[in-house]
Amino acid sequence: MNFEQLDKHRTAAAVKLRAALNTSIAVGAILLGFAGYAHADARTQAKRMHDRIAGVPPDAATLNAMAALIPGDPIAAAAIALQAPSFYNVTLKNFVTPWTNRDQTVFAPLNDYTATVIGMIRDDVPFNTVLSADLLYVGGAGRPAYSPANNDLYEQLESSGADLSNPAVLVSTAQSTASGLPAAATAGVMSTRAAAQSFFVAGTNRAMFRFTLINHMCKDMEQVADTSRPPDRIRQDVSRSPGGDSRIFLNNCIGCHSGMDPMAQAFAYYSYDETAGRLVYTPGAVQPKYTINSDNFKPGFVTPDDHWDNYWRKGPNQLLGWSPTGGSGTGAKSLGQELAGSDQFARCQVEKVFKAVCFRAPGNGTDRTQVTNITTAFKSGGYKMKQVFAAAAAYCMGD
Amino acid sequence: MKTAIKNLGAAVLLATLAACGGGAPTKLNPTTTPPTVLDYTGPAPSTVDIQAFKINLWENIKASNRCGSCHNAGGQTPRFARNDDVNAAYADANGVVNLTQPDQSRMVLKVAGGHNCWLSSNSACGDILTTWIRNWAGSVATGGKTIQLVAPVDQSVGSAKSFPTDSTLFASTIYPILHDANKGNCARCHSSGAATPQSPFFASNDVNEAYAAARAKINLDNPAISRLVVRLRDESHNCWTSSCANDATTMLNSVTAFANGIPLQVVDPALVISKALTLYDGTVAAGGNRHDTNLVALYEFKTGTGSSVFDTSGVEPALNLSMSGDATWVGGWGINIKAGGKVQGTTTASKKLADKIKATGEYTFEIWAAPANVTQEDAFLMSYSGGTTARNVTLAQRAYQYEAFGRSSTTNANGIPGLLTKDTDRDAQASLQHVVLTFDPINGRRLYVNGNPTGDVDPRTGGSLADWDDAFAFVLGNETSNNRQWQGVIKLAAVHNRALTTVQIQQNFAAGVGERYFLLFNVSNLVNLPQSYIMFEGAQYDSYSYLFTNPTFISLDPAVVPGSIAVKGMRIGINGAEAHVGQAYATLNANIGSAYTASSGQVLANIGTIIGLEKGPTADMFFLTFEQIGSHLHASTDPTPVTQTPTDNPLLPDVGVRTFDQLNQSMANITGIPTTTAAVATTFQTLKQQLPAVPSIDAFLASHQTGIAQLAIKYCAALVDDVAKRTAFFPGLNTGGGSASAYFASQPNRDLVINPLLQKVVGTSLANQPQTADVQGELNSLITKLIVTPGSNIATVTKAACAATLGSGALTVQ
Repeated sequence: MNFEQLDKHRTAAAVKLRAALNTSIAVGAILLGFAGYAHADARTQAKRMHDRIAGVPPDAATLNAMAALIPGDPIAAAAIALQAPSFYNVTLKNFVTPWTNRDQTVFAPLNDYTATVIGMIRDDVPFNTVLSADLLYVGGAGRPAYSPANNDLYEQLESSGADLSNPAVLVSTAQSTASGLPAAATAGVMSTRAAAQSFFVAGTNRAMFRFTLINHMCKDMEQVADTSRPPDRIRQDVSRSPGGDSRIFLNNCIGCHSGMDPMAQAFAYYSYDETAGRLVYTPGAVQPKYTINSDNFKPGFVTPDDHWDNYWRKGPNQLLGWSPTGGSGTGAKSLGQELAGSDQFARCQVEKVFKAVCFRAPGNGTDRTQVTNITTAFKSGGYKMKQVFAAAAAYCMGD
Repeated sequence: MKTAIKNLGAAVLLATLAACGGGAPTKLNPTTTPPTVLDYTGPAPSTVDIQAFKINLWENIKASNRCGSCHNAGGQTPRFARNDDVNAAYADANGVVNLTQPDQSRMVLKVAGGHNCWLSSNSACGDILTTWIRNWAGSVATGGKTIQLVAPVDQSVGSAKSFPTDSTLFASTIYPILHDANKGNCARCHSSGAATPQSPFFASNDVNEAYAAARAKINLDNPAISRLVVRLRDESHNCWTSSCANDATTMLNSVTAFANGIPLQVVDPALVISKALTLYDGTVAAGGNRHDTNLVALYEFKTGTGSSVFDTSGVEPALNLSMSGDATWVGGWGINIKAGGKVQGTTTASKKLADKIKATGEYTFEIWAAPANVTQEDAFLMSYSGGTTARNVTLAQRAYQYEAFGRSSTTNANGIPGLLTKDTDRDAQASLQHVVLTFDPINGRRLYVNGNPTGDVDPRTGGSLADWDDAFAFVLGNETSNNRQWQGVIKLAAVHNRALTTVQIQQNFAAGVGERYFLLFNVSNLVNLPQSYIMFEGAQYDSYSYLFTNPTFISLDPAVVPGSIAVKGMRIGINGAEAHVGQAYATLNANIGSAYTASSGQVLANIGTIIGLEKGPTADMFFLTFEQIGSHLHASTDPTPVTQTPTDNPLLPDVGVRTFDQLNQSMANITGIPTTTAAVATTFQTLKQQLPAVPSIDAFLASHQTGIAQLAIKYCAALVDDVAKRTAFFPGLNTGGGSASAYFASQPNRDLVINPLLQKVVGTSLANQPQTADVQGELNSLITKLIVTPGSNIATVTKAACAATLGSGALTVQ
């Protein structure tokens, strides 16, 4: 973006702000004009970097410290902003919250899914374990105990303005210990209460797969649909002739279900008990939701267990870059490892951070090269998300 | 050449007999009135079986407008319709009927083949004759079922066109329309680089990727049914001009040009393939063991042409129905009712329903139907009624529910209150379902879906049907008054004058619906065993696909004992090439051996799949391919996907606005008022969703600014009202220093407010923040206005200046 274009956008924004102002003169709010845009100096870059990472403007001392580092080591400058409590309480919370509910709204309460991701990022836990780890972040001393049957702890943390950057406030524990789920059945954020409440509730458990794909692979079903995969694992509940027209199945339904159903089988023992408000896990017993509407297509697949297979390792979706090992397994944990082991998982995390920090998706060749570079460093550097935030913020701090 | 498969559900004889048609040209006799049965003066039936023959078959066929016209006492042999001696007729009839398999009777095959059918549909005559013979046979015809498998005539897989490996031809014919925005409209979505990418990516920037995705959408043998053409022509899917027909023609021409550029090729010689056959080369497996003892009317929709739907119950008078509006035949036996369509009988012919049902006081209305959607309400699937206010019985769909209205002595004349299935059960689905409504005087109405009682209890107990009106008409897909449209596919409808039991309903559900065949794919040369086949149960699933289920290895030579034969990666081929979609057996990994029995073979997989219809059931030639069968191997490979570079996005602003939590935390940080402070916390919770949710500056609205201003005022009020925090923020400011007008008359006093705001909110030496002089000017101007406002004081003016700065773009924009 050149300066003329930038000015044009800023002018457009200012016009909008001025329009907004007309409605608020009565309360004395005024629009303050911007200074003429000159070549961004280190202070300006530092402020933007802090704004984007911490969500709040820096105080004078922080700004000075960051500005001093910018010319030689912008990543070190970003590291200062990453220490701000609001990076965790505001930026990360709002970054993660939409992943935890079906409406993808940011206006949802803090929950165990969000808190666990925040904790993992804070403590530099390798992020490729986010879908498989036996890990949960709960309240520290003086906080309510974690309950697998309600969200009270996290709502208390949020309403009390708890500093989530403080390791004494948000502490790591084993999910199996906190929730009572067998360790082998834990699958990182997928087996948290919040994820279960949103994606294991009612339905057929395909929601967990779809939303995990959206949130952690940056792909919705339309983008991975592949009608050429074998449909042998598509369950009985999927009508092969919706409304009497099998073309709909052969051209649409099969594209998603042929790949999704064999992988969503990993969740066959999971459900969410709305009455008790908690995750249900029934090892060895397939949830009844897997066999509902069995008369829709009697010769369809009947789920016998939680064995999953990744049919997308062949066909166009092999471009997602699956790891050399894997491809099948039992249960959600190994499926989480399969997904998080892909190139696309790593790239997706980087793209999400890029968008959060740069306010736009990677949009041209330079952006994409940068994303590739950050992704490579992310994978080789132990999947530390803070590094990604720092690198993306440095890239988008302005010229 | 034959072997017997026990318990496969249908009685079938040699399928080859079905070809025994011929005889005199069909003569259309429109009369369908029941034959007279009171003129018989000959000897009485001498046995119970002859009596059964007399009642069930002979009295129906001896009339002069049916078989009795020729096969009478002095006419053609066999004289099974002679009117002078029922015992003699019985003796002749035995030569032309098969009581074990009534539908394979010579009499049935002859008439169904076109020999003097008295209706316009030969198959309807055949079905009616079958019913009469089955009624005569009684339990004999419903006993153990045996399928006689017949080896089909071996056919080799014919030549066909197959897709070239490189995309050159595609690039010069179809691709320009798919990809060029000036010619077509596909690239807007069907490209992985599109703003809203929608698979398949046949309009990709990369022609190879586009070609790989487009293959499944192209039919080389019949370009007109290519998905690329059908979507435009029949479904008006994102046409790029005002005429979808013209766009479809453009697409068709390009696909035709592509197809014409490909020479006919023999099937890939590298493939390991079976012999080939069409659906109709299979052994018939139709006519399952239904419970039809108390039939009053039956519709199997076998005719497939014309506008008459024949009642093949054999119960006179036939209640034939007329199709009107948008009601069309579908493949594999059925009708499709769309908006404006219905199928209705006359009130005169419908009278038999009232007559027969009132006689028993019970009824069952049974239907196999696939609702077009689960949103239609007040949609009458099946009705015997006279409009929206008067009915005998109606079966309706209400979104995910089924609903039954049935008049009895305990309801009103409109069958109300009705019986509605529970909403949460979602009994109605947009897939083929077997739905049954029963009524008996004790239990009232009951609904069954797919053989299972829905569990919903009739709000009324049973009652008498004596008040049924016999002047109503029987109708499918609507009310007689045309204002209760139901849309979907109906594959069978039946009316019984008894309430079927759960067991009987489950029997009818298990019998299934539609035509089915056993398809035997010869693999003898692949496994080196005589008469060895992979057998599928095949059927036309609907107008657009075939159903294949239960692949079974079997040899018709009972002496064959397979050792150990590996079968892996089986695919279904159609017209010379493997089907692109639906290869459910591609993952098959089975071993034929210990589980094999001579009588039933060995089932290889217990799942089914559907394969897209191409040319139609008479022409589509199927075969099987294998990655491994026995010692024959062929490695199947997928095309290698190509990574392509996404297109660049439009330039976007690289500035944004702070979102709700960011604003809240920023104001807290700047003012030193914690977010948990009651006054601001309450305001924030109220305003939260009014504040910006996304940083996109394009999405910033006036309402956002209003919310920001309100929040800023709360923070500034809390700040100024807190002495310690105020003193820290505005050092030297004395809110008790007299009137606002006097205090702020002095610029130094004004600077006590303005400078801290400049320093802490706007910041200093920041190129992209407002100019200091501009801020000072605006704030001075504001203070000047406020100090002359009645009631203002130093604190309120300070709060206003603070809020004006804190709620401004200096903080909001980042």
